[in-house]
Amino acid sequence: MYGWIWRHLPGNAWIKALIASVLVLAVVYVLFQYVFPWAEPLLPFNDVTVDNQ
Amino acid sequence: MAATTDGTGEHSGPTAPAPPPSAPSDASPPARRPGPVATAVSVFGELLITAGLVLGLFVVYSLWWTNVVADRHADAQADKVRDQWEHQATGPGALDTRDGIGFLHVPAMRNGEVLVEKGTTSKVLNEGVAGYYTDPVRATLPMTGKPGNFSLAAHRDGHGAKFHNIDKLDEGDPIVFETRDDWYVYKVFAILPETSKYNVKVLGQVPKESGRTKAGHYITLTTCTPVYTSRYRYVVWGELVRTEKVDGDRTPPKELR
Repeated sequence: MYGWIWRHLPGNAWIKALIASVLVLAVVYVLFQYVFPWAEPLLPFNDVTVDNQ
Repeated sequence: MAATTDGTGEHSGPTAPAPPPSAPSDASPPARRPGPVATAVSVFGELLITAGLVLGLFVVYSLWWTNVVADRHADAQADKVRDQWEHQATGPGALDTRDGIGFLHVPAMRNGEVLVEKGTTSKVLNEGVAGYYTDPVRATLPMTGKPGNFSLAAHRDGHGAKFHNIDKLDEGDPIVFETRDDWYVYKVFAILPETSKYNVKVLGQVPKESGRTKAGHYITLTTCTPVYTSRYRYVVWGELVRTEKVDGDRTPPKELR
């Protein structure tokens, strides 16, 4: 999978590494900005109140 | 397993047809074509590694990034409240509860001041503040002067983690609530280190489990326990000892000095 991506990136090793890090950062951004905030309330780690539900 | 080499050279022209396996190649290595099983296993392995990294990132997000975001927001909000206090006409005006009603100072938690806002929904608490209960039991605000229970909740971890050190509180420790005009000095008198999350009686106007049976001016801090989970709730009760008028320099009461 990652090997396939690496082979399909253009340029020499340096350019590939640069594009790869940009891709990694983009993935991390999407996770932190959209995926984790969505997933967090669904997971039982952060309920702090007492209630009837 | 015989790895076949692919000599078509689809990306790099000068690919040697069959380099030895140890050939160091920092450019594009000759594309090997493993069998379908090997490909499936390798993709599956990479997916597992990816899942592990994503879970690790989620921990980083929960325990660090949410704190950064929440603290940034809470600081801005606290500045706004202080600003309003300064510029409002003195004297008892209409109580504006939208931006926050005051600040909680708990020296034993060593986390400075915690802005208190209305409500305990995750939307409120995720902004790095403590919230006073409106549901299922409505908190009695100290400014009203009526006897009752000023019940609060805040996060134990992530989103500012304002009650992270709640277990550092001992009986007799001060809890100070600061409003525009007054300091309310409470003293911890009972701690319930573990209770069910359905135990709403701890928020009662007279919280019986604390040992008190008469109406009084109580404060209740709730958060989750053990740390990093939400299995139980940790409850700390305090009782009002005295109130002090805020002076011109906002000199804190001696408990905070």
